[in-house]
Amino acid sequence: MNSLLLLGAALLGSVMPSLVAQETSGSKSSDAKTADAKKDEAKKADPEPKWFAVVGGDVHTGTGGLLRGATVLAKDGVIESVGYSTDLPEGTEVLSARGLQVYPGLVAISASLAVSQGSRFLAEDDLHMRCCVDFGKNGHLHEGPLDAELDLLLADQAGLVDAQSDLRDAYDPFSSSLLMTLAVGITSAEQSGGALKLKRGEIDGVVMRERFLSSFTWTSASSGKTQLREKFAAAARYLREKREWDVRKDKVKDLPEPSKKGIEQKILSVLDGSARAKFNANDRDDLLGIARLAQEFGFRPVIEGCVEGWIVAEELGRAGAYAIVYPRQRRDKDENLVRAGGSSIENAAILHAHGVQVAIGPASNGIDLGGITGRDLLHLTVDADFAVRGGMTDAAALAGITTVPARILGIDHRVGTLEKGKDCDVIVTDGDVLHYETLVQYTVVAGKIAYDKQKELLFAHIRPRTPGDGKTSNSSGDSAPASAESQPPQR
Amino acid sequence: MVTRSCLSLLLLLAAGCASTPERASSSGLAAPGFKPRALRAGETGVALQCSKIFAMDEHDHIFAPGTVLVRNGKIEYVGPRRAAPAGYEVHAFEQGWALPGMVDLHSHVQGTFDINDMVLPINAELRASPAYVPGNTSLDRARAAGVTTLLGIPGSGTSISGFGVLHKTKDTPLYDTAVIADPGAMKVAQSYNPERSADFGSTRAGLGWLLREANERAIAANEAGVVDPRLENLQKVHARELPVLIHCAGSDGVGKAVNMWKGEYDTRCVVSHGCFDAFKIAPYVVRMQVPMNHGPRTIDFRVSREGRFVGTAGEYLEAGARDFSLNTDAPVVPQEELFLQGTVSARYGADSYSMLRGLTIHPARSIGLGDRLGSLEPGKDADIGVFNGDPIDPRTRCELVLIDGVVEYSRTRDGQLF
Amino acid sequence: MLLTTLLLSIPTPADPPLPSLYALRVGRAETIAHGTIEHAVVLIEAGKIVTVGQDLEVERGIPVIELPGATLLPGLVDCYSRLGLDSDGSSGFEPQAKASVELYPDQKIWAEILELGVTTLGLYPAGSGIPGQGFVVKPHGATREEMLLRDPSYLLVHMRSDPGSKKFLRDGLEKADDYDEKEKKNVEKWDKDQEKKGAKKDDKKEEKKEEAKSFDPSPPQDKAKKERKGYVPSEPDEKAKPFVELRQDKLRALCTLSKAADYLHLLDVLREETFEFDLRVFLRDDVDFHHVMDKFGEKKLRIAMDPRITLQPNTRRERSYAMELAAAGGKPVFVPRTDSINGLKDWLRHVGEVVGAGLDRQVALRAVTLEPAQLLGLGDRLGSLEPGKDANFVLYDGDPLEVSTRILAVILEGELVHGEIDQ
Repeated sequence: MNSLLLLGAALLGSVMPSLVAQETSGSKSSDAKTADAKKDEAKKADPEPKWFAVVGGDVHTGTGGLLRGATVLAKDGVIESVGYSTDLPEGTEVLSARGLQVYPGLVAISASLAVSQGSRFLAEDDLHMRCCVDFGKNGHLHEGPLDAELDLLLADQAGLVDAQSDLRDAYDPFSSSLLMTLAVGITSAEQSGGALKLKRGEIDGVVMRERFLSSFTWTSASSGKTQLREKFAAAARYLREKREWDVRKDKVKDLPEPSKKGIEQKILSVLDGSARAKFNANDRDDLLGIARLAQEFGFRPVIEGCVEGWIVAEELGRAGAYAIVYPRQRRDKDENLVRAGGSSIENAAILHAHGVQVAIGPASNGIDLGGITGRDLLHLTVDADFAVRGGMTDAAALAGITTVPARILGIDHRVGTLEKGKDCDVIVTDGDVLHYETLVQYTVVAGKIAYDKQKELLFAHIRPRTPGDGKTSNSSGDSAPASAESQPPQR
Repeated sequence: MVTRSCLSLLLLLAAGCASTPERASSSGLAAPGFKPRALRAGETGVALQCSKIFAMDEHDHIFAPGTVLVRNGKIEYVGPRRAAPAGYEVHAFEQGWALPGMVDLHSHVQGTFDINDMVLPINAELRASPAYVPGNTSLDRARAAGVTTLLGIPGSGTSISGFGVLHKTKDTPLYDTAVIADPGAMKVAQSYNPERSADFGSTRAGLGWLLREANERAIAANEAGVVDPRLENLQKVHARELPVLIHCAGSDGVGKAVNMWKGEYDTRCVVSHGCFDAFKIAPYVVRMQVPMNHGPRTIDFRVSREGRFVGTAGEYLEAGARDFSLNTDAPVVPQEELFLQGTVSARYGADSYSMLRGLTIHPARSIGLGDRLGSLEPGKDADIGVFNGDPIDPRTRCELVLIDGVVEYSRTRDGQLF
Repeated sequence: MLLTTLLLSIPTPADPPLPSLYALRVGRAETIAHGTIEHAVVLIEAGKIVTVGQDLEVERGIPVIELPGATLLPGLVDCYSRLGLDSDGSSGFEPQAKASVELYPDQKIWAEILELGVTTLGLYPAGSGIPGQGFVVKPHGATREEMLLRDPSYLLVHMRSDPGSKKFLRDGLEKADDYDEKEKKNVEKWDKDQEKKGAKKDDKKEEKKEEAKSFDPSPPQDKAKKERKGYVPSEPDEKAKPFVELRQDKLRALCTLSKAADYLHLLDVLREETFEFDLRVFLRDDVDFHHVMDKFGEKKLRIAMDPRITLQPNTRRERSYAMELAAAGGKPVFVPRTDSINGLKDWLRHVGEVVGAGLDRQVALRAVTLEPAQLLGLGDRLGSLEPGKDANFVLYDGDPLEVSTRILAVILEGELVHGEIDQ
């Protein structure tokens, strides 16, 4: 199973080694700063390191290994070791996962803003306050009036929204949508092109990356395609000239600096690796066009949808593309076409087999509490299951909701697998994480238990955990909830 | 893959234990005195060699491994492994779980989707069959997922929207070869949709009167021994010749529906949807012995407001629902994802073996086809799906589908359609 | 003798319906400051409370109003209202705006408010973001000046979990930073100038003498201040001023929150700021303030809220945030559920419901009198029955929190402003 995954990675590595290197170095430098800042903060507040360990579970590291009955030890929220015969430092908070499965936290590549922002309320006095539910990026799941939108609009117009602090400043670490997201094992989520760590009860350190994915429109009209290509060409030319200028400026006196006029910063960011270009495309011809553009200008495109990708998987693989696939997306074949067309349940598997990095997205990116279930963000694993149905291995499908989305979002140095040095985002389940009856028992974010099934109302009544399998060493028992809120009601 | 399937199998068995399906029987199921014999000219025969067979019969037989023999479109043998007689087309699966073809009693994807004729509130003379387009892609995918029988019904825009057509999902352009019964069942919408804005029937009171008035006329015609051409089929409903499927939801709507169609009129009624907080009156539905055809909503969160994800299928089963089946209300849930209604219900607390019943024998029995469909028993239609594992695990693929003994889908032959 | 409200139609201070010095003898008095007193006597002189006690002897000659069946409560204080004001307000960043410009005395509503026992009203500026500063009135008086008790009362900050409202507060504090920075430079410059002057005059000795005369234990900073006699700080610009005043404790902030996360975002902006603030939280079903209740308690915050039992999100579980806040060490303040005359009519009944659900009665009574008075910065003058405080009373014919109880009379600064009193 994993050999295929490795093969895919190897293929990619050989095709464009320079780009891969560029990307990793680029992502590390910017995040190293925040990590350092975080450490400094921690030092100031609490010089004693905080130790946390998940002990005795079958640890699926996400790097190919399954360590039965192993220990994941974390120091200040970062994994210190994964393995056996670990000496736990004194004062370590221990979560027993005996008889349970341990996985890396899931990464949602496409998630409604409601996940991190909950419901929005107006900055208005009580008389005029009305609520607006699920103000999602895809639009219009309103239960209330459009005031929240208006509110944002006003703020935008006044130039009040600080782009760099959007996600953090709107984060709601108490919202029930956040809790539900954690309850299904999702610990990182894409939000507005950035990546958030879904911390509960705190807002510090939630933003892992802001606006890394940069959306590009790939139009079917040929003029639009030509224009986009010309813009990329201009940007590439500028970068070339700039490099040349950088080398020669000291030698040649008064050498004019190349003009940035008319160059799109967005494209420069994509070409220098500080952002990733994301296209939404499904048609075979569009996919081929994007692949060609990417190869010509040397960047790795992220293609969301990619419905007919299975037809041109080889080309996409060669272009080093990432695909965000919704396995249940259906599209009937155009009966006028002789060639293959339309959606295929095998899409994810075929793309993966051709070296495309496949992330799997939920059938809908919001949280659907209306009763029709199995097709929203809370059932991300079900969509991974459908990828397996189409021929993917379990391991590749799991990578599609952990490591691959982490790579796409530029956070793979922090999340996606259980390895030393990565964030301790761990889920503990009562079985195979891709099995439909498996429920998450604990979700750990940055070395803190953010969700405990028996302590929250949501799923506690479903196959209740028997005392003994899985508990924290400082708690007296699973059946004794800490607060009135956590106590499941009598049925 | 092997380890995964084993895990599923163990889980399934463990779950199944609660309802104690019989593990296996040495003799198998066949007509008395059955002896396998070679095909004669003009006859067809199919043998399925499977690693596991869910008979879904009264005794919950499971044969692992096992064989199904099909002769001339009907099942003749289900039981432990045995060799196929001469001339039989043999399909052998190393990992192959056989399940009766799935039955969905609430489907709208037969064709053109013009399912609500809104001018009149009572449309007992209408039929869904003219909108049926055999061989449309929704049906293709449904077939490829092991769904073999559908009750295609009009919508819920009016109180009585007409009669549905019971048909199989055969790959045929010919209407007649796929139809089991037309009219198949009457569709009633008790509340939550048929409310007519600014017209008579905008309230529950009005809706109730509309239904009662039509029913009383049909009953009067039956009693007078005459046939009212506009109520002919409704008269058959009251003569218990045709079943009726009632769209209703909420504990209020379901209560009303059961009370009227079973309590008052004693029709062959099936309650469909039963969503939101309707599970709270499950004991009443059970006591009145009305089959529940549940879906497309299978969890309740908001209405009960208890902060819990309540798996409603589990609640019905716990209340003792006997003929409990699941529906998609396709295209609300895509037709091919019928099994997923069982998947999520099992996830939220129902036992997985009961979900298999709810996808096969229970819907068949609810609509009056229990003697012909829904289980793998001698003499029944050979509608069979073979899967490479637990049929309600979305990871499982459907490998082969027989309808009336004909291979209507083969993954290896047709490519994986779903 | 019967003192009637006929006099009310001409409520001129020159013609008081009650004498300047008199005593009230009531069946029960809720002093707020010192619990309940049965058979209480309150002595009032010139609109102020002189003494409060049980069965006090009243000097001969002082008129005593006997109301053995009445319960006496300090006048109610509604600290978060817009009654009588009518502008749509501004939205955005208008910290300098004063709601008091909207005050218009000649309105019927003031009398209606007073009749419901509300003797003090904290009015806030309309609008979103940081819309301005509130003020306090007594709902009685012919002119603005007569009505006004305090202006400004608090700077209103609507804090929500969004970049916009956080930016407003950050901007305000940055303006205060800029001012502080500028002042620091001004002071340095002034010091230098003084030094130059001093060097010229060579009066260092004199200074030293003075220092020696009075030993000053205060830290050098304060000393520095003292030395800067004659220095006039510059005037901050109008938008910076309220924030400068917050830091100087000349103004308090009232921050409104709609959900628990808003509080974290408020703290996120305030960081090292040490100025005091109170909160106003809006309670609807599905609010989630229990997540930050311990943080509220830690700071012993005073929090204005609606007197209601709410449901925990997505459940039917009841929560009494007033009770939780009191238990955590904070100070609940009650604001009528709806900001209307009807809201005021139902106010104490709603408070009664929360008491019925378990809130301590004294805490509840305090939450409609002394705590809101504190929130408005008038705690030393209003809100309890203590010597020296304004003689603002409501007289009830029974338990004020009971549905059937009626108001007998309202007394404002010693004057009968509503009701009838048998003497």
